[in-house]
Amino acid sequence: MGKRIFSILAVSFLILAGLTGLSAETTKINFLLNWTISGDHAPYYVAMDKGWFKEEGLDVNVMIGQGSGFSVQMVDAGKAQIGISDAPVPIEARAKGAKIKIVGIIFDKHPNCMFFWKDSGIKVPQDIKGKTVAVPASDGHKVMWPAFAKMIGLKPDDVKFINIDPTAKPAALGTRKADVVFELYTGKPFMEKAVPADQLGYILWADYGFNAYAHSYIANEDFMKNNPEALRKFLKVSYRAWQYTLNNIPEAITILSKYHPINRDDFVANLTAVKEFFKTDRYKNYGIGYIDPARMQDTIDIVKEKGVQMNPDPKYYYTSEFLPSPPYKFDF
Amino acid sequence: MNKRKSVSFNAARIWEKIKTPAVVLALLILWELCVRIFKIKEYILPSPIVVLQHLFLKQPDANYNWLIHIRITLTELGISFAITSALGILIAIVLAWSSTLKKIFMPVFVFLNSLPIVAIAPLLVLWFGYGLKTNILIAFLVSFFPIVINTTVGLTEIDEDLLDLVKYLNGTKLQIFLKLRIPNSLPYIFAGLKISSTMCVVGAIVGEFIASDKGLGFIIIASQYTMDSPPIFASLILVSVFGVALFGIVAALERMCMPWYFRVRERG
Repeated sequence: MGKRIFSILAVSFLILAGLTGLSAETTKINFLLNWTISGDHAPYYVAMDKGWFKEEGLDVNVMIGQGSGFSVQMVDAGKAQIGISDAPVPIEARAKGAKIKIVGIIFDKHPNCMFFWKDSGIKVPQDIKGKTVAVPASDGHKVMWPAFAKMIGLKPDDVKFINIDPTAKPAALGTRKADVVFELYTGKPFMEKAVPADQLGYILWADYGFNAYAHSYIANEDFMKNNPEALRKFLKVSYRAWQYTLNNIPEAITILSKYHPINRDDFVANLTAVKEFFKTDRYKNYGIGYIDPARMQDTIDIVKEKGVQMNPDPKYYYTSEFLPSPPYKFDF
Repeated sequence: MNKRKSVSFNAARIWEKIKTPAVVLALLILWELCVRIFKIKEYILPSPIVVLQHLFLKQPDANYNWLIHIRITLTELGISFAITSALGILIAIVLAWSSTLKKIFMPVFVFLNSLPIVAIAPLLVLWFGYGLKTNILIAFLVSFFPIVINTTVGLTEIDEDLLDLVKYLNGTKLQIFLKLRIPNSLPYIFAGLKISSTMCVVGAIVGEFIASDKGLGFIIIASQYTMDSPPIFASLILVSVFGVALFGIVAALERMCMPWYFRVRERG
């Protein structure tokens, strides 16, 4: 009899356990990329492929992006809960009332870069005075150029801009339609298709004092309030995947190519260039994604200089409370 | 003498059959030769052989999963063209039925049609969400107008004498519509459908550029990022094949629906 009661108890316990297991439901997250698929999107597919999001009870739907402005709109509207955006864009949007905050950094070093033919005689960024620069109208480079120009002692209109489609950047330089092309350093492997590698010159803005943050994770404010644990888990898995991806680039790209029609060799080159922006003492000591208050202030100041009415509290624009603890450090 | 005549007659018939593929083949050979002779870099213009290899052979450095992307694009195309045809014709009938409605809504449709779709597509994603349904909406917005305009013209431009005759015989408005206006509009409807079929293809691809992680449009945009031109051209070939096929289906339907029209034309 005792045995029977025991087995009934055991069975009902199992059923209960099963029910509670079911009720621990998964959280659905729409995650919006900043652009069409590139090498730096591999971590999310690594995490998906290895089941890391699932382990944390997350059902992540990765969506292809249309640039930072689009990311900000979609996350503000709640069509995506989390997105990737260039840091100054969500800061400006937040100042103007968008319900979003920066919750983590992706690239620690700013990837803004200028490319040119070596025979153009450009050695330092000041040399581009009077040159023709090709850049799309809504490109982050163009938005941040006035701040950088001031930093290097030029006036914003010291160069002549021509407007091109983002995909036409390498061709514009290859055919010498422009003297200089503003493009992220991560685009270098594709520039080398249009200009021979030994004749391609480049200058990273970050090497001349451009300290602002670039690619960052932004989150919808309601989502932060209602699902703080889901956001925390998302960032934990993402930074874990970043650490893994940076240490296993070819494998990460092979995984990405299971999901998307990409050229693996091109993407390995692209992601290897991306890796440069994670090789910093900050990420080594404080972990990938760490938000440095001083650099965030620099980023906020860039927006302020455009004449935007700003909230004086920097914490109005970002929060570090969802970053993983302990952090995922990157020992390069 | 007789024999020679039949030989040349046969040759003419064979040429009649193969002239289109022959011209296409000749253009492909010319393209291949240009690439080889002028040593054109692959990212500027890949050779047709390389493009076809990307389409049909497994590539060592990429995994294109053509079938998945083809299926998505075809689904969008099929659904959007069905909706466009049905709604387009329906709208035209309503506009032709009531001149008041026509006065109110025609400017709205002209306005919708003149919107540059690439500019508003990101907003449509913001309003209606990401994925298949928004792509179908974009394809509809790009392609519905020619059907509406053509059908409306077909329904209203009736031979006045014929109209007078039916009115004289006490024909009702509904009878005039069913027996006179609709048969009269068929050639116009099919002309509109033919234009819309090709525009639907454009719309579906534009939609995939903006809000999709699958489909031939996505392959194009993803390959543009790395300047990987062969898959772009391979996708374009598939897209144009779909466009031609859809056009062909409409043309075949046209022959089935109005045999009298073609009989008259052939006799004339």
